[in-house]
Amino acid sequence: MTITDQKSLRAALRENFPRNHGQLLPALHFLKHEFGHLPDWAMEVVGWHLGIPASEVYGAATSYTELRVHKPGQHVLRVCTGLGCAINGGTRILTTLKSSLQVQPGQTTPDGRITLEETACAFMCGVAPVVEWDHEWHGRASLETVNMLLRNGDES
Amino acid sequence: MTNDAPTKRLDQLRLDARNRAAKHDGKTRVVVQLDHSSLAVGGSAVAGALSEALSESAYLVVAGSDGASFHAPKVVVTTPDGAIKSFANVEASDVPEIVRQAANRVDRPDDPNLFFEQQHRVALDLAGEISATDIDEYLLYGGYSGLAKALTMPPEAVIEEVKASGLRGRGGAYFPAAAKWEGARKVDKPSKYLVVNAEEGEPGIFKDRHLMEGVPYRILEGMTIAAYATGIAEAFIYINAEAELSAQRMQNAVDQAYGAGLLGREILGTTYSLNVEIRRGAGGYVCGEETTLLNTMEGYRREPRLRPPFPTEAGLWAMPTVINNPETLASVPIILANGADEFKKIGNENAAGTKIMSLSGSVQRPGVVEVQMGTTLRQIVYDIGGGPLDDHELIGLAVGGPSSGVLPTSMLDTPVMPGQLHESGVMLGAGGVIALDDRTTIPMVVRSLAAYNADESCGKCTPCREGTPRMVEALDRLIGGSGSPKDIGELRQLAQIVGAASLCGLGQAAGGPITSALHFFEDEMAALVPK
Repeated sequence: MTITDQKSLRAALRENFPRNHGQLLPALHFLKHEFGHLPDWAMEVVGWHLGIPASEVYGAATSYTELRVHKPGQHVLRVCTGLGCAINGGTRILTTLKSSLQVQPGQTTPDGRITLEETACAFMCGVAPVVEWDHEWHGRASLETVNMLLRNGDES
Repeated sequence: MTNDAPTKRLDQLRLDARNRAAKHDGKTRVVVQLDHSSLAVGGSAVAGALSEALSESAYLVVAGSDGASFHAPKVVVTTPDGAIKSFANVEASDVPEIVRQAANRVDRPDDPNLFFEQQHRVALDLAGEISATDIDEYLLYGGYSGLAKALTMPPEAVIEEVKASGLRGRGGAYFPAAAKWEGARKVDKPSKYLVVNAEEGEPGIFKDRHLMEGVPYRILEGMTIAAYATGIAEAFIYINAEAELSAQRMQNAVDQAYGAGLLGREILGTTYSLNVEIRRGAGGYVCGEETTLLNTMEGYRREPRLRPPFPTEAGLWAMPTVINNPETLASVPIILANGADEFKKIGNENAAGTKIMSLSGSVQRPGVVEVQMGTTLRQIVYDIGGGPLDDHELIGLAVGGPSSGVLPTSMLDTPVMPGQLHESGVMLGAGGVIALDDRTTIPMVVRSLAAYNADESCGKCTPCREGTPRMVEALDRLIGGSGSPKDIGELRQLAQIVGAASLCGLGQAAGGPITSALHFFEDEMAALVPK
């Protein structure tokens, strides 16, 4: 079932989530999975379903680092700058990307193509440095790895 | 009391598993080590190529990693005559060669490996060796003996046994594990819960993922024993949002355990029943703090709760709740199977058992390693890790994550012990060691840790919310060359205030990186002030 509006979302929530407060995070994960981010209207519908005010839904949603309320660009490029990655080249990769893409971490390029993000640890310190392109991690990365990802992204 | 039903049922399960495994007899065993790190360096392509290329005379096993991240992706081939050969840093294009060598019965034993020789693998024993997706292998390698033993004992006796072993929680607080179970057991409430805290979100620490991806069944077994001892019928495994592979492996393990009667109703033919559900986090260091984790599960903001009441009295939905780390639980089956006395022989008198350390940064051999409590940092960084990368000099270690601090090379002989490693705020924490070399500076490292703490502050306590960004600002001024002696004083003061006036562990330890740097690297910090 594709979810496009309030009605179809309410039906999907009824099917998958019992109406109790503890289902908020699972329901938000469901939105993330469906839409890639948490649209305002959808968070409101989750609130109706679980009996939680929209303000509280929004408050909880924005307190988690892995849930985004803004629609990301076509591709998401994430660079780890945790200590293990930073020392092995992660910082240099991020600095280069900031200047080549002309955006700061958290921003999307003006053409809406790439969202650049920085993470404080991807928990793959043994194969540092790591970068993530559209949910796929690449270890022992270099500037060449990133350039290749950016080039291949153009083709898709 | 004689009750051999669990043991008999386990014997039957093993017999069935043995019969199913008989189809592999006389064949070459090819283990491909797939964990979240090896997937990032081409592991799935290797596994795919292997499954296509292997002939009828070999079978493929998907295991977790053995901890040697520097070898990932790794393939281990065991020929029917018992000869073992490892292939490190494998690419898909190497697969034909591996298959050819496997067919030719390579009899050269694996080179002695310093990475493993210095370790003491207990919880990680079997990680990277047995299937991470097939419960039969865990059963055949001795799995579930601990649970079968526990189920023949009264719950109180299980608590006594674990208490006698001296096992302490491995999440960072090192609270005696059995004391939590005993506390929750004593509270008279209609429901009790067990939560496995696999929210692991401290930069530089990735051992819970390693355990979940390598020996998921061992965590489940430990969890079931803990739940039985406490008198719990419902458990949750709370897994970090990003740890996708861990969640998949744990879910698969849970499904298989239900199928084998090792979870669900009447476990191993007894009257004990336990249901398990996997929940996912949504990011945030503070979610690993146990009361925050409870708020998260109940659908509230990620903020800690006031303690007391402690979770063992009033936790999830105000019911007694035991919260254990996966590493703690992974030791439990071993204690039950071999006895508390055997377990106490590992480690030292103050701290029994092993500690799993995440080793990264500037080391030749990064990865996840298991050592006895009391092992020195020098042994971990040099003997196991091989020392700093070529042409670089070690300048210090960041130990225990962002709530801990930095140690100079003069402190390399510090033994790994629960709690504080040094009074300036350096703790073992969940066990991370990041080796720092001359490509960075201590102030930059401290700034990175402080910025992390500022980002992750949930905002509930004002001193932490306002104080942590101030510390970053002061460090930025100093590093940028516009600092003054006042900034050093302010850092010292803020670290103290934030630590004293915050509710949860994140705030209480947020000043650790700064106080430890000011203690050990005073000159380097003072040199930041322009003359």
